[in-house]
Amino acid sequence: MGLQANEHSYPWLQEGEVPPLPLDRDRIHIISQGVADPLFDYDIIPLTYTESRWMAFVIRCDEKDLKKIVPKPIEVADDVVEFWYVIHRNTMLGPYMEMGVTVSATCKSEDGQVYKAGYYPYMYLSNDSPIWAGKEPFGFPKKAAYIAAFEHGTNNNYFNVLMERRGYIIHTANGRYSDKPLAARPVFYGKTDWGRMNYRITTSPDVTYSIHEVTYLPSELPPQFGTGHRFQLNPASIRTATGADIRAWYLSGTPFDFMGGQIPPKEVIGLISFTFNLIIPPAKTIWTKKVTRSDADMNQVLYSTPFKYTMRHRFLLPQYPGC
Amino acid sequence: MPSHLNVPTRYWELTKEVPPPPVERDEKSWIIANPADPLWDIDVLPLTYTDSRWSAFVVRVPEESRRRLCPNPPLQVWDGENADLVEFWYVDHKNTMLGPYLEFGVTISAVYKDPKGNVWKAGYYPYMYLTGDAPVDAGRVLGFPKKMAFIRCTVHGGEKGTDFFGFAMARNGYLIHSATGKFDDKPVTPPYFYGKTDWGKFNMKVITRPDISSSTWQLTYLPSELPPQFNIKGHRFMIKPEHTRTASGDAINWFLQATPFDNMGAELKITEVTGLISFVFDLVIPPAKVLWEETYERPASYRGYATPYKYGLRQQFPIHQGS
Repeated sequence: MGLQANEHSYPWLQEGEVPPLPLDRDRIHIISQGVADPLFDYDIIPLTYTESRWMAFVIRCDEKDLKKIVPKPIEVADDVVEFWYVIHRNTMLGPYMEMGVTVSATCKSEDGQVYKAGYYPYMYLSNDSPIWAGKEPFGFPKKAAYIAAFEHGTNNNYFNVLMERRGYIIHTANGRYSDKPLAARPVFYGKTDWGRMNYRITTSPDVTYSIHEVTYLPSELPPQFGTGHRFQLNPASIRTATGADIRAWYLSGTPFDFMGGQIPPKEVIGLISFTFNLIIPPAKTIWTKKVTRSDADMNQVLYSTPFKYTMRHRFLLPQYPGC
Repeated sequence: MPSHLNVPTRYWELTKEVPPPPVERDEKSWIIANPADPLWDIDVLPLTYTDSRWSAFVVRVPEESRRRLCPNPPLQVWDGENADLVEFWYVDHKNTMLGPYLEFGVTISAVYKDPKGNVWKAGYYPYMYLTGDAPVDAGRVLGFPKKMAFIRCTVHGGEKGTDFFGFAMARNGYLIHSATGKFDDKPVTPPYFYGKTDWGKFNMKVITRPDISSSTWQLTYLPSELPPQFNIKGHRFMIKPEHTRTASGDAINWFLQATPFDNMGAELKITEVTGLISFVFDLVIPPAKVLWEETYERPASYRGYATPYKYGLRQQFPIHQGS
């Protein structure tokens, strides 16, 4: 007993493999807390991705359901929705798995301009840094989940995806690519005048107010990267499957994740998979609103009973959560 | 014929334990995004904990290291009694409004003098790690510097069946810390702030604009006195003394290192592990006060540290299979 060792060396720092320590920098070079050792740091900027594999199920939802989950001032533009998985192999945030839903939408900004974009109501990732790098500055609605996505067999003809969180399976699907065309695609596919939108909420530490913002990511490449769409597809990598090729599909709402209960598809139209490089530029704020709370308003915010724990507070403890 | 099943269960319509999604409520009750299904919601408020087990190693850290980790301005390190004793703690949270999770943190005694001359005394957190995504995010709203990690807290064996302990933490494939040993119940001197209601907790929150043009730093303060609505006079850490165990430094084996992703092991510069104090407690976390705020602007030419499409040591850790 009593054997103790503290290793203080930084070989990767001395060799220049990592950025200078945040403690040795000017404060403009710190973009997230903790300020001694940020959850995501400035070596992620500019945020680029190489050889990511996108596997997008195309589904048709009830427009009434979509309208219920999209907050004002954002408006639903179409009932064909992208329900996608991504295997990110090389990114400034390390490799990670991702899942999301993209709804075609529009938003009229404060200056009267109408922005067209894919709006994200749900997103899940397998790692902490990309969750908060997306969530805090930009407003991506990211949560942590177990995510798996595979292509395998002869010519990688078979696909399988799975997502679980807090002991509940949220979604799984598998099948075989037929490379047949899909009957419909999301309207924003391949269009540089359709960007991406998020609804960001920043609440003050004393909970007396929240800033609501619609943030917009353009699809055109930032000028220093040339011209074109910032999703740079490799056309030779595209594979497709029709709804009939998707052998099995299961989607369910859970007490912790409402997606399956909120937007059950009327139809699974098919799957489009492709490999791509990507750039995520800084986002523009196109709409802002400040919501304040008085002491009386706090009553509707305090939903739980102190020291009384319910169904949502008693999920099983994961064995290796998030990281 | 493919099998496609959608289970559109809306738990919030089945039980009062689950609040309806924010989009179906008054916007004053929207705390975080996305309003369709946030990572955590109003059923975590007020945030209470029951029967958590706190296990705090007490370590000596030189003044120079403590100064480096406490951002000045606005903080100064405490220079009074037992100033060099720093808390290096694990917690097993069994019942919380955010579900069960494991937590790790470091607390340094610090002070802030406001422009009116008031002196605020508190434990400042430079590092924190948790196993759950929701408590990471809920804490980050208040300014806690939380990241996700693999954490283990175990007790077993000996006469009481809980005499031996083991603690460990790893992230992105690297072991950050491990400590093992046996409770010998010898006296251990705690950090100065222990049990004092006039000492609160400090955090440094960073809010970055979606376009990365600026970041605002906020020093937040959590008082140790319970909020009046709890009708309980005393410290908001309510210790159950009958469960307290201690171990002297001689009864602890200890290993700590920095990694390319987490600098704590090198920055703390621990000179001695003086002991371990372990106790069971109930807890309330109230909203936080902002004591100090400063905004750092970035020039339009700001480009961060990374090279587009070039991935370094910090961007190539092994991918995880799950969350």
